[in-house]
Amino acid sequence: MTPGPRVSPAARRLLLAAGVFGPAVLLEVGLDRFVADSSVRQLVMTAAINVMIAASLNVINGMAGQFSIGHAGFVGLGAYAAAIVASHLHLALGGGDPTFAHSLVVVPAAVAAGAAVASLAGVLVGLPSLRLKGDYLAIVTLGFAEMFRLVLTSVPLDAKSGVAGAIAKLGGQIGYSGASGQGVPLYAGPLWVFGAASLIVVATWRIKFSGWGRALRALREDEIAASAVGVDPTRYKVTSFVIAAFGAGVAGALSAIMRDGIGIVQPDQFDFRLSFDAITMVILGGSGSITGAVVGALFVTFTVKLIELAQGLDAVRLFQSEHAWLDLNALRMVLYASVLIALMIRRPEGLFGEREPLFARKPRGAAPAGAA
Amino acid sequence: MRTAHPTRPEPQVADGAPLLALRDVQVAYGGIHALKGVSLEVGKGEIVAMIGANGAGKTTTLKSIARLLPLAAGSITFAGQDLGRLDTESVVTAGISLVPEGRAIFPNLTVRENLEIGAYGHRDRRAMGETIDDVVQLFPRLGERMKQEGGTLSGGEQQMLAIGRALMARPSLLLLDEPSLGIAPRLVQDIFAAVGRIAESGTTILLVEQNTRLALAASSRAYVLRTGEIAKHGPSAELARDPEIRAAYLGG
Ligand SMILES: Nc1ncnc2c1ncn2[C@@H]1O[C@H](COP(=O)(O)OP(=O)(O)O)[C@@H](O)[C@H]1O
Ligand SMILES: [Mg+2]
Repeated sequence: MTPGPRVSPAARRLLLAAGVFGPAVLLEVGLDRFVADSSVRQLVMTAAINVMIAASLNVINGMAGQFSIGHAGFVGLGAYAAAIVASHLHLALGGGDPTFAHSLVVVPAAVAAGAAVASLAGVLVGLPSLRLKGDYLAIVTLGFAEMFRLVLTSVPLDAKSGVAGAIAKLGGQIGYSGASGQGVPLYAGPLWVFGAASLIVVATWRIKFSGWGRALRALREDEIAASAVGVDPTRYKVTSFVIAAFGAGVAGALSAIMRDGIGIVQPDQFDFRLSFDAITMVILGGSGSITGAVVGALFVTFTVKLIELAQGLDAVRLFQSEHAWLDLNALRMVLYASVLIALMIRRPEGLFGEREPLFARKPRGAAPAGAA
Repeated sequence: MRTAHPTRPEPQVADGAPLLALRDVQVAYGGIHALKGVSLEVGKGEIVAMIGANGAGKTTTLKSIARLLPLAAGSITFAGQDLGRLDTESVVTAGISLVPEGRAIFPNLTVRENLEIGAYGHRDRRAMGETIDDVVQLFPRLGERMKQEGGTLSGGEQQMLAIGRALMARPSLLLLDEPSLGIAPRLVQDIFAAVGRIAESGTTILLVEQNTRLALAASSRAYVLRTGEIAKHGPSAELARDPEIRAAYLGG
């Protein structure tokens, strides 16, 4: 080995950390200054939230090879828990406009609450369904997410006491807009939202390439063989499910209190459409690929927005006024679905398969992925 | 082949006592009684074969030893320890490794990753490195394919990988489920030669085979399993001469 200008491992780590978390800091300083349109800022932050949702779902649906179709339920639990904690803390801190100093208290507390509640629900849902063989998880998660929504919407709003009274305080179908009803305080600036997205991506990355992640992938490929080397299937599945729920809780928490957010948490934000969007992001990018989850999340976020924008174009409006029978919203879903179908026909394994093309961490042979 | 486990001492058995003993083991799949009371013993250092037709219950027996199936009745002891109380993970830790039927490797993990995960029970870096070297000595073909994905190997190479992966745990007892199944004859020879060398290094082997000729040649004693029961047992050389066995399993 010839001594050359080499970067020491410590410096490399620092550089890597700066590369990963630098954007969050830059966006904190720059986003409000340079992007005047708050709906654009909201879109960019929503993209980061969706990255968290997809990256966390990828742990259970991609890496563990299970199939959860109720991810929205965990996102919703995280959102409600965070909104409640943030608005009460906000009042305790004297109200007023959210300041950065106060966000240092409110955001961690709200996110911790959202993550804790979602993880706890993850244990309760995951333990019974993942112990059993077969695909009970799909059914149970779908049921759980719908139950979460229905419990919120079906409690009479004039209920005063007991559990019903507590749930009624959350506003039913109309939604929860803070303890004082003035809107959920929006404390989480870009630093928090992008910082958390980066952290979740890095964390799932570490998981994938750790010994733990290797055991998880082994389990997905052959459960008997994995058990035979001593990997406990139930423990791995439940743990990865709880990790996914945790990430969803963080994403939900931040979506409820993000700056430029809408200040209200409603049950319908977390219906099955969000779960299916999340699944789309993961499958589109390639199940098991973290790069894929990120790209899938960005793709879905911006495609949906682009189609929405196109709907607002004068030409399109004119067209619709002439053809009133056309339901543009339905058309949008058709268009979106067609894009997905085309992609899945061209690349059934998703954009990246299980690979991480920008980072050659996992050397792979020339063989096609999934040649099982 | 280095066989000393990084943490577990060599299992001790009293003189004449078996390393592994099954007593009247019964296993049922729902209503199907797959094992109707199987008793067998494997002594330390032996190669014992279990032969029998398709569906006789050979795989079920090995899976029940590895605690992959619940016992309906009976007991399994290993070095005096009751395996009935353990889960699969603890059975591996106790020193029993199963090479499952039918090339059960991890196709999307590289050959090296497949091997490394075999050391899941002890995760001892040094033992891991040594055993990988030993496995490569045993199966040189694997050495050339370390970075390839398991799924890209030929059937015979996958079987070698599955055996190598089991050896990574440094087992005292190796359970082999039909290592010759569906594999090119030339590679079958290599695999059986390797099984011999694994036994020479002190690892006890319980070998399940449908290929009766091979199994009886490789083992010192054998059990004949028929519809969930032991029909016969004895020294392999004797069984190979037994007219009934010759008619039923050796083609006359
Ligand atoms: N998962 C299962 N469910 C139901 N029956 C099974 C299952 N596995 C095996 N069996 C039955 O148990 C009996 C023994 O099977 P097995 O142990 O696989 O035999 P062998 O390995 O000797 O071919 C067979 O009759 C088989 O049909
Ligand atoms: Mg079998």
